Amino acid sequence: MTKTAEHTELREAVSLDRPWVTLVWDDPVNLMSYVAYVFRSYFGVTPKQAERLMLQVHNNGRAVVATGNRESMERHVEAMHGYGLMATLAKADE
Amino acid sequence: MSEHRFTRLESGALLARFAPVEADLLRLATSQLVDMLAAGAENPQLAASDGVFGRLLPDAYRDDDEAAAEFRRFTATGLLERKAQNAQILLGSLGDAADSGSDTNANRRPVTISLDDGAVQAWLRSLTDLRLTLAERLQISPDGVVQLDGDDTPFLRELYEWLGMLQEELVYTIDV
Repeated sequence: MTKTAEHTELREAVSLDRPWVTLVWDDPVNLMSYVAYVFRSYFGVTPKQAERLMLQVHNNGRAVVATGNRESMERHVEAMHGYGLMATLAKADE
Repeated sequence: MSEHRFTRLESGALLARFAPVEADLLRLATSQLVDMLAAGAENPQLAASDGVFGRLLPDAYRDDDEAAAEFRRFTATGLLERKAQNAQILLGSLGDAADSGSDTNANRRPVTISLDDGAVQAWLRSLTDLRLTLAERLQISPDGVVQLDGDDTPFLRELYEWLGMLQEELVYTIDV
């Protein structure tokens, strides 16, 4: 019994620490070249990674572009809105 | 017209070159953006509404209205201010309409301007805001179809596409 209780506590702790993600969503206005440029220049990813993320947005409708704590994800979302990209933050999927 | 509008100089600065009519058009569209952003800054109710402000300041949380409203309260003013600053920088780099307008139309020379890194960033963001605003007016659907059916649709559409081309050229010039 004790073991089970410990296990539950641990699970809760993990779930409280579940990170947040920044999502960028596809939209009909922003150019693919511009979106890739934003990923490269703001997140500092390689051109190849930027291209891959941009294509994920384009083909899947969205992509996770950053993971971390809530405050830093809010900062990223605000920056993305500054660039005119559709961005949201959410808790990472379990 | 086939000439490149943007050229990267060896010094790192970027040279932009526009036909007078292009500079006029960009100036006109950007002044309207400045006015619109000023109206949003003065009226938080308007800035929190759907439509164009809903697109310029989208919800940061998809399934948490309260968190989305809170985020908006903390970020909307700053975002609108920076968007207005970017538009002002774009206008400023285009210069006064007066120096080209004093000549007769036939004599008007191309507008050549130099953009530093800060100005380039302002241009990129402002061209995006202009296109987002126009897309809203054109009622562009999620799959990219223009739904507005009015007398000014052809003009707005042409402007929208031209701004897209301009932005693409700018991105390709800096993204090497």
